[in-house]
Amino acid sequence: MPMQSEPQDPAETAAVEPTREQRIARAFVELADTLVDDYDMIDLLDRLVAHSVDLLAADAAAIMLADADGGLRTVAASSEDAQLMELLQLQSGEGPCMESVRTSAPVVVTDLTTTDRWPRFVAAAATRGAFRSVHALPLRLRGEAIGAMNLLHRVPGPLPADDLALGQALADVATVGILAERAIRRGEIVAEQLQTALNSRVVIEQAKGVLSQVGGLAMDQAFERLRRYSRGRNLRLVEVARDLVNQRLDAAAVLAEYSGARHR
Amino acid sequence: MADRGAVTAVVARLAAEDLAEEDLARVVCEACVAGLDVDGAAISVLPTEPSRRTLWATDETALALEDLQFTLNEGVCLEAATSGVPVAVPDLTEAARLARWPVFGVEVSARTPARALYALPLQWGAVTIGVLDLYRLRAGDFTTAQWRDLLGVAQTTSMLLLSRRTRPRPPGPADDVAGAVGNGRGHPGNGVDGLSDGVFGNPEIHQAVGMVLAQLGIGPEEALTRMRARAFIEQRMLIDVAHDVVARRVVFTEEIG
Repeated sequence: MPMQSEPQDPAETAAVEPTREQRIARAFVELADTLVDDYDMIDLLDRLVAHSVDLLAADAAAIMLADADGGLRTVAASSEDAQLMELLQLQSGEGPCMESVRTSAPVVVTDLTTTDRWPRFVAAAATRGAFRSVHALPLRLRGEAIGAMNLLHRVPGPLPADDLALGQALADVATVGILAERAIRRGEIVAEQLQTALNSRVVIEQAKGVLSQVGGLAMDQAFERLRRYSRGRNLRLVEVARDLVNQRLDAAAVLAEYSGARHR
Repeated sequence: MADRGAVTAVVARLAAEDLAEEDLARVVCEACVAGLDVDGAAISVLPTEPSRRTLWATDETALALEDLQFTLNEGVCLEAATSGVPVAVPDLTEAARLARWPVFGVEVSARTPARALYALPLQWGAVTIGVLDLYRLRAGDFTTAQWRDLLGVAQTTSMLLLSRRTRPRPPGPADDVAGAVGNGRGHPGNGVDGLSDGVFGNPEIHQAVGMVLAQLGIGPEEALTRMRARAFIEQRMLIDVAHDVVARRVVFTEEIG
């Protein structure tokens, strides 16, 4: 019996692992596509962290943006661990991501256990964090940073310079898109859009809670189900999240999505 | 990254006080008039619901604008409430901007001296708590710094109102004697148990709200109210209760929730 008879997902069998160059090209195309028309900042940044993790062999990534109140808030994170790293910086009032926003420059920490900077954050990360190295890249335009992206690795060591440059290029595409869109729609800064994104974040976290409760899932898994359902239907994350929280959408329907084949 | 705006700073200081909703709205509206180059301001809660209520309006025109929109059931305030994004009409003589509200557009010019309108939603996640409405007697938009300040005011006011609406004790006229608990940031019974502060940026609180609302089949505001009540009874911080919910050490039920 030379062949196994079990039917397979054609997307799985037909897919030849794309080269890194193809994945890079796809990342830029997808980020650019996201910027067309009426895009949502949360979806854009969620894709940015996902591509960064994929292309830069990071274990996780997260993005902080400055809010209207002058503080920084987390708007995207590839995992709960990454979200916690951002929170530890915010609670410590210091850290590479905040430094990157303040200086509008990349900040590299090859080993959190040996750095003598940010003592409060480093102590917190040592007890509760899951990562050893941090590369923070500013989201900036003309010298002013509106936020920063953290690339997180579980093992110490620097990223190759080419990878760092690629990470910055991905961040720049997203930033230019965010700022250009605003310039066209109104002669205004991003503050309003950031505020909307931060509010969206509240709804998305609540929706993760709903899916986690109903499906008996960990938060990372709950978020993955939310992404899968939204992307599969070409809906914004926040729209699906809002419907879940307002109980206009049955959590079971979102959870059932997973039993199908992986999309794309 | 800019610093907190001046008016936002004024509003943020209210977290240490224990004002009734109406007094809070009055201070916010007056601070906007004093610091943001507007001629009048008003705050209404639940603008899209029959139980809507104008908490405060700084003058007759501000009040008339609220009443007009609620009577006609259209206008900047209602659009801000339903869309969840700020609405600006820097010049009411520009007909194109008013096409969205045909009746309101005519009536506002006929009945009030307002020449520019702004409406900012006061929201928490999917919940629209209210709207902050502002008007000017002459046309003109805000500067970038003013917009940023105004957005900060809206964000801070939202948290302060949410804090009052979900506070762990029976609502009523006795509300305003609660200052007795002092400004203790850490006191779980206080109206500011971290809600308007950095703690609220903790995703675990939002995740726990989502779990509790699914456990009880209720809305997010009520879920937060239950969690705060529990924290109050157990003399713990909200974040600790949230942590237990997410870790599945605590499940809310109808009886003890």
